[in-house]
Amino acid sequence: MLKTSTTDAIPDKKVNATHRHSFRLNAKDKYYAAVFLGPSLLVLGLFVFYPMLKTLYISLFLTNTLGNTTVYVGLGNYVNLISSPDFISSLFVTLFYVFAVTFFTVALGLLLANLASQKLPGIAIFRTLYSVTMGVSVAVAAIFWLFIFNPSTGFFALMSSWFNLPVMNWLTNPTSAMWAVIITTVWMNLGFTFLILLGAIQSVPNTLYEAADVEGASSNFQFFHITIPMISPTLFFVSTITIIGSFKSFGLIDMITKGGPTNATNMLVYRIYKDAFYSGNYSKSSAEAIILTVIIAFFTLLQFKFLEKKVNY
Amino acid sequence: MSKYKKLALPLILVLGIVLIAVFGKALSAKSAVKDNRTEVVFWHEMGGPSEQALVKVVDGFNKSQNKYKVVPKYQGSYDEAIQKILQTHNTSTSPAVFQAFDISTAQMLHSGYTTPVQNFIDEDKYDVSKISAVARAFYANDGKQQAMPFNTSQPVLYFNASLLEKYGITPPPVSPSYSDITRVAKELYEKSGHKVKGMTVQVYGWFLEQALANANRQLANNNDGHTGNPTKVNVNNPDTVEFLNWIKENIKAGDFIDYGSGANAGANQTAGFLSDKVGIFIQSSASMGQLSKSNKNKLGITYFPHPDGKKANGVSIGGAALWISNDKPKDVQRGAFEFIKYTLKPEVQAQWQKSTGYLALNKDSQKTDILKELYAKNPESKVPGEQLAHAKANFSNSGILMEGMQLTRQLEEVAMETVYNGGDIKTALNTADKNINDNLTQLNKANGFK
Amino acid sequence: MSTVLTNITKSYDSEKPVLNDINAEIQTGEFFVIVGPSGCGKSTLLRMIAGLTQISDGEIRINDKVVNDLPPKDRNLTMVFQSYALFPFLNVWDNVAFGLKARKNTSQAEIEKRVNEALKMVNLESLKDRKPRELSGGQRQRVALARAVASDAKICLMDEPLSNLDAQLRIKMRQEIYALQRKLGLTLIYVTHDQVEAMTMADHIMVLHDSKVQQIGTPAEIYKYPANEFVASFFGVPPINILPAVKVSNGRINVNNDFEVNIDQQVPADNFKVGIRPNELVIEQADELHANASVKSIEFLGDEKIVYAKMSNNGLEVAVEVSSDADFKAYDTIKVSATEKVLLFNGDGVNITRNAEDVVNA
Repeated sequence: MLKTSTTDAIPDKKVNATHRHSFRLNAKDKYYAAVFLGPSLLVLGLFVFYPMLKTLYISLFLTNTLGNTTVYVGLGNYVNLISSPDFISSLFVTLFYVFAVTFFTVALGLLLANLASQKLPGIAIFRTLYSVTMGVSVAVAAIFWLFIFNPSTGFFALMSSWFNLPVMNWLTNPTSAMWAVIITTVWMNLGFTFLILLGAIQSVPNTLYEAADVEGASSNFQFFHITIPMISPTLFFVSTITIIGSFKSFGLIDMITKGGPTNATNMLVYRIYKDAFYSGNYSKSSAEAIILTVIIAFFTLLQFKFLEKKVNY
Repeated sequence: MSKYKKLALPLILVLGIVLIAVFGKALSAKSAVKDNRTEVVFWHEMGGPSEQALVKVVDGFNKSQNKYKVVPKYQGSYDEAIQKILQTHNTSTSPAVFQAFDISTAQMLHSGYTTPVQNFIDEDKYDVSKISAVARAFYANDGKQQAMPFNTSQPVLYFNASLLEKYGITPPPVSPSYSDITRVAKELYEKSGHKVKGMTVQVYGWFLEQALANANRQLANNNDGHTGNPTKVNVNNPDTVEFLNWIKENIKAGDFIDYGSGANAGANQTAGFLSDKVGIFIQSSASMGQLSKSNKNKLGITYFPHPDGKKANGVSIGGAALWISNDKPKDVQRGAFEFIKYTLKPEVQAQWQKSTGYLALNKDSQKTDILKELYAKNPESKVPGEQLAHAKANFSNSGILMEGMQLTRQLEEVAMETVYNGGDIKTALNTADKNINDNLTQLNKANGFK
Repeated sequence: MSTVLTNITKSYDSEKPVLNDINAEIQTGEFFVIVGPSGCGKSTLLRMIAGLTQISDGEIRINDKVVNDLPPKDRNLTMVFQSYALFPFLNVWDNVAFGLKARKNTSQAEIEKRVNEALKMVNLESLKDRKPRELSGGQRQRVALARAVASDAKICLMDEPLSNLDAQLRIKMRQEIYALQRKLGLTLIYVTHDQVEAMTMADHIMVLHDSKVQQIGTPAEIYKYPANEFVASFFGVPPINILPAVKVSNGRINVNNDFEVNIDQQVPADNFKVGIRPNELVIEQADELHANASVKSIEFLGDEKIVYAKMSNNGLEVAVEVSSDADFKAYDTIKVSATEKVLLFNGDGVNITRNAEDVVNA
């Protein structure tokens, strides 16, 4: 047999496994390692690790008017928080918001991306329209939606008056305020999510759909049994960043509801900000920040442990 | 050769850092134009039309002399500015003179970061008797003037006089009771065929506190902090209940519209008022400038309402004072005080009132042509001043000297929102009491107050 | 009971049609290969039979039923794609079961039975839990075959199914596909650009070129009686030698002014060409005076050698098959002649060899 003929081999995943153990640094490598890692370690240490440790430290004390630590209380701040119905409700509000935003962002993004991936004349216009919110800043979005929600002069109020319906004040009712914030966030997120998902859908090989066409799969069946599994890594990606992004949601909350009414939209991040920079209660907000960190770390871990396994093919 | 190569990388890094440092310095040095004047950095929180008026005051001062130059810097909301002031103290960015709002007085006092203006008053033998005593008292401690009141306002009740005329409704009296307002609001709502809402009260802790002041009720113990550091608050009292019941009654009647809380709510209710969507609302007298400027209707103003069957005790002042930081050199502090003195001149205060609606604090301002002309043109602009003059200062209407007032207000607002959304008044107030007191206890502990 | 294509035309926008007036009848149970160089429209034709591409004009009948407007799933056929179109997130078993599950009219037990049988038929039972990425190219190909097998459809379309495999594997898979087609009695319509695949597997071959059908016939017909110069050149390795010729006298022609050949038919005076398969050319060593060509290069193939020679006139090159013990080296001067088994083409490339007319249908 000729040497050049390729064998019908199965791709091997673990070729380089033994390489790692022979990894040694000589003096020159160490020098370069220090030079290359040094600056980033310095920056990270100064701006990430030091503040993190400091936050942990502050959370174990009470702070006075000037923000200085005074009385050591151990886990007192944490105990207070966990036993405070206010904080617990903030926690649930945040979780509700995060999951609602993630669900609707991904679901709507997927719907629009699927619609826009159809090969129809003029579809490019819709692709541009759907992705347009990507270029909108938080401030502009907030003002835009505040105008829509305004109970006297807003768009919804106007609509209600046309149809002689009672005017709903979106931002003063705790339930509708939450939905107002969710709608606004989803609207903001949609452009990016749409674009990413559209890219994913369009990169699914067309022959898969053709094969399914020939095999007799309906378009619904194809969507759920080809499109969804094929883009699942992308779905995983967008839901992860949407979850993390919504946990950190601040600008929209600050501009639309300021956490109100009755703390109905007082997400953890906003609460931390208010407790620190409005009320000057640094110890409490430090403890809250640590709790938020733990929660986000938990969700990140959870996602990578369970979800990634399922979407990797 | 390889020796030099080894050196190259760190050298480039170091050079880069040095370059950035040098040019950064050069750029920042360039931005501060050097002249021989002593620079006095002034932090303030006046936005919108008030900022323009304030800049005029600063310009006036800078032109009036050639020793000091005041540089005004806008810092956002009152709430946010406090932490900036406290956290930048002793750094080069901190202000020499700053504006801090009423409820931060205790905090500023306790910080030890300020030089009492009394020191300069004594040095200059400056005559303060011309300055409103009620306003001065708010920022004084132990007979010493700590800060100088600058922009001083009173909450007043605005109504759309044109609309009332149109529907033939008798306007509310001067110093109205809750039921006076309810009557007008309901009539307006009904007679306009539900097109115009009768009234609104913004979810704002300040208004709740003012309702208590007007009912001669103290919120915190130790006479609202005037005779010692407060250790306990009592939001759940009959007067708060009556105030909230008044609102609740109007909500039930349908003539009340809720705009929520915060700056957006303020803007929305102003927009609603100017576009004939709501007839009556409570707001600071400082809004008068804005309300009379862009109003196609006749603006009505009257006193903050009081409980039925009770005499109005008068409301306390709101607004902010100017403080001098003690982390700046003597000559800068001196410049700051010169600026403060300038702001208190009769003409400056008169013009300030005319352009913003804040009250002129210098008694001589009333004699200036500026205010005389204003009153002749808009007689209603006298009302806030009259309301202030009408009140006799006592502990209940001189503000609350207490730590943690910002959170207290937030919690008051949560209680108000709960009620506005149909919650039980007593439960909401009890929750507020518990949370405020918990926070107060902790703050006192942290600050070492007994 | 057959698949009939009548006057099929496909054109995009109003340009030159991709396919023009295609007619064919594919018998039930036969192995029908559509072959042609790339870009000839063979894949398009297959996709039109599948229903994945709309036809512009003409009619497709499957079992006496016009299917022009039927969606692919209602044409009762299966298709194997060049890229196999396997679902990367499904294991082998589920890939094969996909179509059966999608149609939703097969019971679970039936699905299991058919999938297992199909896997057994392609020898993939032991790999049924693997994902496609854990399979070799040949195994992936078998999964695609199993998918077609599992389906009940009696017509199977294949679009260049072997082009992603290396040479050795291609030969093996060729045999497997052929065996499978025979065993299941499938009507197999198979598209390829490889004439060897066409020759080795087909019952009938359709040669497509330049948007048109060049010839339809059995492999032997196509090889022996090519309809035209293109078909003659397309089949056979090395390709047939095409040389210009003129008439010398009745029964004798001169090829390329280099040598003469006796023929058994009438020919035009000039402007015709002669096609001679490499094994019908004869060469011998000759001195420069008698030589009419020189050896350029030699390929050793085991039992025989291919000698590439440059003719003296026109610089034309010819390939000659000789036995492997024949002694030729590069730069040898040789004398080229031919047997009488030659093909004749007129100026338009049409086969004018006697006995050829009856097989020419295009």
